[in-house]
Amino acid sequence: MNSTEDIMRVRATASTRTRPVPAGPAPRRDVIASAGSAWGKYLVGMAIAFAPFVLLIDDSHWINIIAVTYLMGGLAAAWNIIGGFGGQFSLGHGVFFAIGAYMTGGLFISFGWSPWLTMLPIAVLAGGVAMLLSWPTFRLRGPFFAIATLAFNEVAFVLANHLESLTGGPRGMMIPFKVGFVNMIFRERWQYALLMFCFAALVIGISVWLRRSRLGYYLLAVREDEDAARAAGINVLAVKLQGMALSAGLTSIGGTLFTMYLRYIDPPTLFTLPDVGVKFALLSLIGGIGTIAGPLLGAALVIPFENWLRAELADSLPGVSLAILGLVMVLAALFMKRGVMGAFEDLMKRRRGAKERGQR
Amino acid sequence: MSSDQAMLRVDKVGKQFGGLRAVDDVSLSVRKGEIVSIIGPNGAGKTTFFNLLTGQLAPSEGEVRFDDRSINALPPHARARLGMGRTFQIAKPLIALNVLENVMIGAFMQAGALSAARDQAMAVLERVGMAHLAPRRAGELTLSERRRLEVARALALQPQIVLLDEVMAGLNQSEVAHEIELLQELHAQGLTFLIIEHNLKVVRAFSDRVVVLDRGRLIAEGTADEILSSPVVIEAYLGAGHMGSGRELPASVTNEG
Repeated sequence: MNSTEDIMRVRATASTRTRPVPAGPAPRRDVIASAGSAWGKYLVGMAIAFAPFVLLIDDSHWINIIAVTYLMGGLAAAWNIIGGFGGQFSLGHGVFFAIGAYMTGGLFISFGWSPWLTMLPIAVLAGGVAMLLSWPTFRLRGPFFAIATLAFNEVAFVLANHLESLTGGPRGMMIPFKVGFVNMIFRERWQYALLMFCFAALVIGISVWLRRSRLGYYLLAVREDEDAARAAGINVLAVKLQGMALSAGLTSIGGTLFTMYLRYIDPPTLFTLPDVGVKFALLSLIGGIGTIAGPLLGAALVIPFENWLRAELADSLPGVSLAILGLVMVLAALFMKRGVMGAFEDLMKRRRGAKERGQR
Repeated sequence: MSSDQAMLRVDKVGKQFGGLRAVDDVSLSVRKGEIVSIIGPNGAGKTTFFNLLTGQLAPSEGEVRFDDRSINALPPHARARLGMGRTFQIAKPLIALNVLENVMIGAFMQAGALSAARDQAMAVLERVGMAHLAPRRAGELTLSERRRLEVARALALQPQIVLLDEVMAGLNQSEVAHEIELLQELHAQGLTFLIIEHNLKVVRAFSDRVVVLDRGRLIAEGTADEILSSPVVIEAYLGAGHMGSGRELPASVTNEG
């Protein structure tokens, strides 16, 4: 007699009943930000991020740094999808970055194909490669996963040096300077800066969408507790693979833009860990891992600082800029566990708490 | 009990960990709408047995059937999708998320869109009396709230059967009473329960049938009153010296901290 339909119906009606709760009605606002407020924040944030571009568009030194900052911010945000939301600390994203870079360059040089057209198919391919590489590696947890992805980066570095017919090997790959929108090659630096801004805006927009989607919530659940995630009906491996594919595809697009910007790539540029694979993770860590704005904020703090250090100290004390940067990162890891965004949120919370106490 | 009524059917299931036989030849079936309690001394294999049912562990032998099909090959998430909700002995709140989001993680299984999942999760929170805690970070909850959150996340799956692993442990008397009330309400709405419980008051108040595990084996099965006065069970808990003393088990036989 207890048919499933009956049960469902009974439960459906029962679910509207409320039990007495100690503290008045539920404060529904603030629990989950509404779509409008999430996208509103996004627009305000991107407008702020756009300001340096407007202010310094004529400064040839700064516009360069701004372009790199947008690019690295976008790449860190792409890493943050699997590394921050999904909690899978990949240090091998240089592989996907290099796939985008080499394939875009190779297809442009050999066939003259426009980067605008090849960019997306290459990104899909990079996502596929990421899934193949991750399939076995996702059985590893925590530091072991990070070490395995580090190994992928090193293997890819060796391969890139050896496969000369495809990559140009140690000599590298030079993109001919054929100016034109179709070729994604521009005369002015600010045009690249604008392009990089669009990339960062795209990746962060995807993060905003993801954070409010089922996949985004599932990535968070997987990061927090895999057993609890499974018990909630989540296919943990599938969720990790989807997150990794999305993250790798966006990283590959970053590689495309990087190639067309620099017009020269070689294995050390694409695979040097402190500049690429590890950098994506570090920028996210400093800005706020697992937050939406954190990766771009991290890039905004670190990239100009790094450039300044290099310029100031390169002659007198070569290498010291790296040591100082390292120290800053250690301090950030020790004292701001959730990055600048985390510290900011804590501050806001404390202020709100003080205000509420004041009202009582 | 006719076989077509059995929702969950366990057939001669065993689990070997190296030299240890954690679960040994256990058969059990749970009918739709029934509440079955599993009791037994610490280390009897109760949680291991649970993990065999929910797929966290694969049985060394035997078969687990749900709705009359073998689910031996199914991973935990697929069993959850079939309608098996569970809680963990050590509560696993997703501490970086708030209470509502924790429950939404479960609700997303039925609801694809954010708004639908949020509404469903809110309805579950209201049902378990936690709606006022919705914006609270799960990491800031008390023990009893964490345990209740586990139940809420399991309910958000809209399951057919819920497996509760010691959800009363560490709760005070009024919290236990509150919890029993909640479970009875859910049961009245047609939900089936399989529970591991140390608190014999709870077992008495809230079970149709009790099974006893000891050293991995199922040593007794019956109504709560039959079981709690059975010499075999008293021996398993208190040792042979108490045989024939006419004693019953004390109200709580937990030896956790």
